[in-house]
Amino acid sequence: MAQRAVVPFLVLLSMMFIVLGKADVLLFDRLRVVIADAAAPLLEALAQPVATMASGVRHVEGVFDLYRENERLREENARLLQWQDVARRLETENAGLRDLTKFVPEGAPRFISAQIIADSGGAFARSVLVSAGGREGVTRGQAAVTGEGLVGRVAEVGGRAARILLLTDLNSHIPVMLDSSRERAVMAGDNSDQPRLLYLPINVTAKPGERIVTDGSGGIFPPGVPVGVVASVDSGIIRVEPYADLSRMEYVRIVDFGLGGVLPQNAMPLPRAARGARVVVPDPVR
Amino acid sequence: MRMALFQREAGGFPNKLVPSLTTLLFVLLSVVPLHIPGFAVVTPAFALMAVFHWTIYRPDLLPPIAVFVAGLLLDLLNGTPYVGTSALSLLLTRTVLMGQRRFFINRLFPVLWAGFLGAMAAVVIFEWALVSLLHGAVLGVRPFVFEAALTVASFPAGSYLLARAQRAFLMRV
Repeated sequence: MAQRAVVPFLVLLSMMFIVLGKADVLLFDRLRVVIADAAAPLLEALAQPVATMASGVRHVEGVFDLYRENERLREENARLLQWQDVARRLETENAGLRDLTKFVPEGAPRFISAQIIADSGGAFARSVLVSAGGREGVTRGQAAVTGEGLVGRVAEVGGRAARILLLTDLNSHIPVMLDSSRERAVMAGDNSDQPRLLYLPINVTAKPGERIVTDGSGGIFPPGVPVGVVASVDSGIIRVEPYADLSRMEYVRIVDFGLGGVLPQNAMPLPRAARGARVVVPDPVR
Repeated sequence: MRMALFQREAGGFPNKLVPSLTTLLFVLLSVVPLHIPGFAVVTPAFALMAVFHWTIYRPDLLPPIAVFVAGLLLDLLNGTPYVGTSALSLLLTRTVLMGQRRFFINRLFPVLWAGFLGAMAAVVIFEWALVSLLHGAVLGVRPFVFEAALTVASFPAGSYLLARAQRAFLMRV
């Protein structure tokens, strides 16, 4: 009977999709974009009340430890004022030195703010869908940041929605460097909360607490975007704690640094893009 | 108002779609970001709850194709490169459960809950093994365990909503 064959047929179809998805990423990329675009208004409507409720909860929480929070902020403010002083001095010094070396500054980046309307939620994918897409000027490969630091990069773009592959996803590979020694490495997500640092030169040792920033040499990210700190070094496995709290984001900023054309739309699957330097960004100092 | 309108045509067309529609709604629900402080990136697998519930109580109204579409939609919304994984695991859940559903009908809720725990455990182990195989490396089990625990913990809420929908729309269908 035809009815009996339905389940085996669908099971087979699912398996075929899995194999196909492994072989040809592009087909499903397109499909995902279409689905995301179609579901975006619905997801936006669903996400709104949840976000409102969450901010309400946080509000109530905030009222309870107002006093402690105030103390903490006062302390932090005192510390930041010192830093401000230092920063001002360095800024002047920097400007002077740049003048001396005829350094050409990078253009100012453009920010696109977007609300997160869906997160993957599953146990084996780490990405979010945001409510901005091609219409707003989002393109593949752009960096997504919060106030704290890098979140991930734009992997797929539809008309009104875009998918951001988070730092922690299995397929996320981001060129980074140690802020102090300027040594380069690749930060690879592995589904856990703390991505790993790969391909660090053997003679370089990373210490817990060391700052990690993006490396511009791949031409994928602008250099110097804060990423996180080295959390642990355990028998050669270096883990990074991202600055951005990926589980509690409501909004992200997608940063258009004007590095357009770095990742040709649709020319290659993004996960692999991070590995090689496709376009050499002219280094103005040289 | 709406409910009355639906019930008047008992046995009618729209009511029969309730299982499929709630399953799709639960798929959407499982990707909506819950910004609860301290909550991890993982959210409960609502889609599995819907498939579990309807397979036990009204398998006639949740055909395999609806399960397949729901799984596929979930995979595409998830953004996982392994499209088809959820479709496959939901279909297998339905198939296995079809043989066991008589056992669960008219049992107390704890029995149902325990059954769901078993289903969730099987699905999570299956997905973990499959994705590890596809990815070519053994994945950390923590997010999977966490997802399972979270889903089992929120099963009463999901089950309550589905039972309400069933009582409201499918009493006479």
